[in-house]
Amino acid sequence: MEIMKTFYSMVILSSLALLAMGCQKDPLKNMTDDESRIYITDHDSTARFSDFHTFCVSDSAALIVNGQSKMQFTAADAAYIQAVKDQMQARGYVLVSKNDNPDLGLTVNRIISTTTGVISYGSYWDYYDTYWDPYYWGYPGYGYYLPYSYAVYQVSEGAVSIDMVDLKDANKNQKLDVIWTGLIRGSGIYNDSVAPVTVKALFDQSPYLQTN
Amino acid sequence: MSINLNYNYSFPLSDFKSNLVGNASPRGFTGNILYHANPILSIGLGFGYQDYFQKYPRQVYNYGQSQQISAVLSNSVQTIPVMARVEFSPFLKTLTSVRPYVSAAAGANFISNTQYLGEFSNPSNSTGFIAQGGFGIKIPFMKFNNWGADIGGTYNYAPYKKFGYKNLDNVNVHAGIYFNLSE
Repeated sequence: MEIMKTFYSMVILSSLALLAMGCQKDPLKNMTDDESRIYITDHDSTARFSDFHTFCVSDSAALIVNGQSKMQFTAADAAYIQAVKDQMQARGYVLVSKNDNPDLGLTVNRIISTTTGVISYGSYWDYYDTYWDPYYWGYPGYGYYLPYSYAVYQVSEGAVSIDMVDLKDANKNQKLDVIWTGLIRGSGIYNDSVAPVTVKALFDQSPYLQTN
Repeated sequence: MSINLNYNYSFPLSDFKSNLVGNASPRGFTGNILYHANPILSIGLGFGYQDYFQKYPRQVYNYGQSQQISAVLSNSVQTIPVMARVEFSPFLKTLTSVRPYVSAAAGANFISNTQYLGEFSNPSNSTGFIAQGGFGIKIPFMKFNNWGADIGGTYNYAPYKKFGYKNLDNVNVHAGIYFNLSE
């Protein structure tokens, strides 16, 4: 009887110890798509966003795969473009057409890397004028300028980027200043049903985006 | 010579608890291999493993002057201490059924600390110092004095100077078995 008690105690406690060793909590297990997502925003801290009143959004999205881009307009792209319009209007900005000299231009971009390496956000900006020719906004010959560093994170799988360009001061500055950027990363982001929620998250954490 | 293996339940303390992982960890074990220098003093090696985890609700974090990141933040910390250990059983000669002991240990703490922003991880491995004080009782199984149960507690002092953190201090309770290979 005592032998059996000893044996069972050994088996139970040894099993518990080995089980504990093998039971590292996996943070990605049971993580919902919403929990997997991160929203990163940055802006030109010298910009006065209340000085801008009108805006337009690109009529299609740039699909950037391994640094090569093409324009596209899927259901998800349409949903993202519409969500950007909704959020800008909710903050007092007036939607106008591209031909009506908008103060702000916004682009929607899907960034995908299928290579084993990563696309740094720095290189994303290096080739920005190949995705969005300044001619698109009516300012051929101007270059884009990002007045802040966006080097904390790298795009290794996929992301949706929304960028805001200062068109009002383009002629005065002789360049197209990017004054706000939003980046969405995580699971299930290329989906029209999640576009409103994810874009709202970007704007909600940017309370300075107001006309007054 | 004796060996023992324990299930370990750990409670983070101080800076570890307030800034990294507040949750207690039920996922761990400890073990010892001890040489009986004399009837009341044993010296040897202590080792262990503990997994700590905590997920914090979505929050907006500020980076620098102009950047904000909204994320569900998860901290996952694993520690593997390997220590020189001394165990002192002062009442061994007067008590036969229950053997209280106190212990002290010090050595290296192998630390894996991975912070997740959403599903994106930022792993970091490092080695630190760890010192331990503890107490417990050993209860021999009847008729089989070479085997017995070990129940006790320990306090770990574990400095951790990375990413602005100060320590991984913790207090633990354990239960397990010991086996005397020779008297």
